[in-house]
Amino acid sequence: METLKNALDFSDFPRLDLTLAASVAVFLLVFPFFSHSSFAMSTLIQFLIFSLYGMGWNTIGGYGGQVDLGKAQYLGIGAYTTSVMLLRWDTPFWISMPIGILFSVTWSFIIGYPLFKLKGHYFAIATIATSLVLKDLFEVWELVGGSRGIEILAGKYQTPDFVHLIFKGDDYYYYVILIFFFIGILFMNAFRKSRLGFQLRSIKDNEDIARSLGINVHWAKIKTYAVATAFVSAVGSFHACYVKNIEPEDTMSLDISILIALMAMLGGAGSLWGPIIGAAVLVPLKSYLKEWLGAQAGMVGIDLIIYGAIIMIISAAEPRGIWGMVEKARRRKRN
Amino acid sequence: MEILTGSISAGLLIGMVFALVALGLTIIFGVMDIVNFAHGEFLMLGMYTALLTAQATGFDPLLTIPFAGLVGFMLGVICYLGFVKYLIRGPMVAQLLGTFGLMLVLRNLALFLFGSEDRTIHEGLLVGQSFDLGMGVIVPATKLAAAVLSVVLFTAVWLLINRTRIGKALMATALNAQGARYMGIPTERMNAFAWGIGGATVTMAGALLVNFWSVTPYVGLLFTMIAFAIVALGGFGSIPGAFFAGLIVGLITELPGIWDFIAEMTGFAWMVDVPMTSFKYTWVYLAYFLIMLIRPRGLFGWKH
Repeated sequence: METLKNALDFSDFPRLDLTLAASVAVFLLVFPFFSHSSFAMSTLIQFLIFSLYGMGWNTIGGYGGQVDLGKAQYLGIGAYTTSVMLLRWDTPFWISMPIGILFSVTWSFIIGYPLFKLKGHYFAIATIATSLVLKDLFEVWELVGGSRGIEILAGKYQTPDFVHLIFKGDDYYYYVILIFFFIGILFMNAFRKSRLGFQLRSIKDNEDIARSLGINVHWAKIKTYAVATAFVSAVGSFHACYVKNIEPEDTMSLDISILIALMAMLGGAGSLWGPIIGAAVLVPLKSYLKEWLGAQAGMVGIDLIIYGAIIMIISAAEPRGIWGMVEKARRRKRN
Repeated sequence: MEILTGSISAGLLIGMVFALVALGLTIIFGVMDIVNFAHGEFLMLGMYTALLTAQATGFDPLLTIPFAGLVGFMLGVICYLGFVKYLIRGPMVAQLLGTFGLMLVLRNLALFLFGSEDRTIHEGLLVGQSFDLGMGVIVPATKLAAAVLSVVLFTAVWLLINRTRIGKALMATALNAQGARYMGIPTERMNAFAWGIGGATVTMAGALLVNFWSVTPYVGLLFTMIAFAIVALGGFGSIPGAFFAGLIVGLITELPGIWDFIAEMTGFAWMVDVPMTSFKYTWVYLAYFLIMLIRPRGLFGWKH
């Protein structure tokens, strides 16, 4: 009950933020009723998917300050669980998604226990290593299709199928992921005010002091890692139903892991709106650059050069992200 | 038995080149505590430099090594002065992602300039020749030359750092940057020098590899991960550690051959069916993970 109240209570934000957030929410709700291109629709779905990944990363990476660059492995576990169960046993999405979360969280506990004995760079690179090991494993595992991946055949389902989450139009997918998105925001709002959230922030500020206050640092990190994992895995399951064709290279590569961390950092790690702002900037940027430059002959690679240059400029010039800039401006105004 | 000796010799030879690949990463990490994701991309550019100069001038790729080293030195210094200098003021996550951005730019620049097709050297002084030492040990001349030259270059850098004035200044910066600054060492220039040396060694390693390793713009990531594993195993910042760890990682990449040997010796049928060659590099990642857990300082590490 207390948690629910926390989740719905946004009163500690300035009124301007809340007005903006509410208008964005209204825009997202009514968007499909206006005429739009299918490119805009798929970009918006990608935006919602990646802001959810970013929110998950933000728990451990933003509030906890642990640079996790291996989130794609949980995306893969979620996506593969859903698509394998759908193909073999016709399992409804709403059953396979929790099972995927269960697998992911179990795996996160197994590797989280040793991982969190490491710190800083050592931790970051070790998360990459675990993710790449799992990807290599999936590439030779015949049950999940090896490196060719796995394809969900939508033809045999009567669309719209809300049980298996198989639809023809993007509008249905849009509303499903939008509901996920709102639940995600409410959850994060409760999380940041929860006991674990406060523990994490004190760990980020100074781990030794946190320990001397009686916080079980290791266990708090593992628990938060599991929360982040559950987020990513659930959305990974949705991703499988949405794209219907998953390969290890698309779902579990290092680029995806980095992209997830990048969204949160660009928007502002450790704030509620940060990952959403980051995804709102990066996802359209990336797909627009690809659409505009990637298709032109003789221009292959240019879109990613621009994209990489933007990453370089941001991380050198404003490492605290867009939200950090906003807060700095506000502090200056107050003084 | 022949499989075993063949695998071990191949592993040791490639391990010497891997040690040179990781040398630059460990110097940069030792001096300024930053992990460079673009390290493998430097190697990729070194490979292209050697390949294209060799094709343009008609020299053997091994003769292009000094030029590749020069290009790498410039690249490292430019990256430091133009980018990394500003990056190190920020938090760690920004440093990691910033060098990742550098990696994306370099990789796609290569894709844009050179195209995505595999390129290999077909002719040269040593290409196609090999020595048969008996016991199943067949050493291709290109790999032998690469290994020997790697050890020579590695020793040269080790001497540069341990025996010269500038090397000692570099070491002082690594141990205590503030103290070094008080002693009148221009630490900023030392950082740039570390990046230059790091870039030069890794591009020269690329020039050595190009004789027997095909080049694509995507070849870098694998070497970045191998270099990370070597540096972790040897200890972040340790130069002798990088050498021995390079040999060990070289042997790890030859595990499929050793596995075949064990399967043959023990006669277990199930062992033959395991697709070990698909996991060639998985063992490197796994080794990194295990080393970090058992001994986070690495074999010779002095920084933690």
